[in-house]
Amino acid sequence: MKKLIFLFFVITLAGCEYELSPWETDAHCPGVSVEENLARLTAFEAANGKPDSYRVAIIGDPQQYPGAFEDTIKHINTLENVHFTLLVGDLAETGIKAEFEWMCKAMSKSNIPIIPVIGNHDSISFGKDIWLDVFGPYDFSFTYFNTRFVAYNDNQYEFGKAPDREWLTEQAQKPAEDGQPIEHIVGVSHVPPWDDNEGFDAHMKDAGYELTIHGHESSFDYWEREDVGLPHYITTQNRDPGFGMLTVYAGADMPLQVDNCTRDCLITTSRVVAIPSPQ
Amino acid sequence: MKSYLFVLLSFFMVLPQWANASYVDLQSGSLMGMVHASYGDSFFDNHHLSAGMGYVPKLDNHAEMTLFSLRYRYQNPYRFDFNVKGHDFQFSPVNFGTSLLYGNHSDLFLELPDQYPKGYYKPTALRIIFNYQSILHISDKTEVYFDISILDVGLITYVREPEFFMDNYDYLGLEGITNWGFGLRRHF
Repeated sequence: MKKLIFLFFVITLAGCEYELSPWETDAHCPGVSVEENLARLTAFEAANGKPDSYRVAIIGDPQQYPGAFEDTIKHINTLENVHFTLLVGDLAETGIKAEFEWMCKAMSKSNIPIIPVIGNHDSISFGKDIWLDVFGPYDFSFTYFNTRFVAYNDNQYEFGKAPDREWLTEQAQKPAEDGQPIEHIVGVSHVPPWDDNEGFDAHMKDAGYELTIHGHESSFDYWEREDVGLPHYITTQNRDPGFGMLTVYAGADMPLQVDNCTRDCLITTSRVVAIPSPQ
Repeated sequence: MKSYLFVLLSFFMVLPQWANASYVDLQSGSLMGMVHASYGDSFFDNHHLSAGMGYVPKLDNHAEMTLFSLRYRYQNPYRFDFNVKGHDFQFSPVNFGTSLLYGNHSDLFLELPDQYPKGYYKPTALRIIFNYQSILHISDKTEVYFDISILDVGLITYVREPEFFMDNYDYLGLEGITNWGFGLRRHF
């Protein structure tokens, strides 16, 4: 009996963690940082010639359902011509370490880079600290082939003055590091433009943004203010199940396209983003 | 904080009238803090209620924080005796409990701060913890225990999607949601 008890304790200790409280901040999430994923993306870009087109999966709000998130990631692995995934926030529901770790475990199943932006639920409790430690910056931009993606933090309740309009303009207008022409500029954040953020759409449009991509809402949506004409694409919460798909074609005269996908991406509602008229 | 102290005071004023054995409990880990001291009483032999206060100092992975708890434990009457080098011990292998844990820190809240619309978030400072204990009775009055706990969101997520945890973690997936700690209990 004593041996059995000893064995029980050994197994139990091996299978648990010694945690001081639910609010620890050292989430174990290897390989998921923005920096690491952008490095993977850069390597992929360098190893492959310029494509005629590529696709970007858009996953939003997977919180509380890491299994559904993992299923979506595994499914996206099977789809052709998807070069990376944009994860538009709310990995956690209550901003605690355990929630992030489950999501990181699911993200580790992806064959392609996943680029995350912070959501409002990720920012509560000590989620801001965990995010900086695990994923890195709240705001960043990168260029993939012909498109500049600008990821920005617009969680106003949690961060106060976000988003920073000057920074958004700078990121949109800076030249590509390799000197290649930038044909599209896409904004990515968790929350769709706020109603009380007066003039934001016009500012983004003037800065050259062609489309913005978001999550936060519980269903697919696509809208624009009539007086501005900057389209906003919103993906559904992942557990629906569903995710979005952005298709980018080579050539400034080729429009961006967004699709609503069920988990198998069988049912889609294509939206072709109108090509902006010359300024 | 004030409301917690009121609850705590009420707890101690009411308890002794129908309690039959008091104890103090010192625990470390298992989500209850670096150290967590509780005072409690036993009822109807197997049921235990306690209230306590814990502390985590400022660490690389944790903000300095005071914790408060209200805890219930069902202690299964089954015990078995054994003897080690002439000293008698009793082992009580299966006991279950639940705790209401409050974390006192400016980044956590019970009432939604003013900047949020009503109902935007549930309280982040209050968590429910489910736990299992194996207790070694060293003497009539002193016992040490090993505690395994599961946080509210861990239990909910595991029940919702057990396959995710079974596929990704060991021991039926429980590795992904459990934490351990240990403690000492002294009865009066």
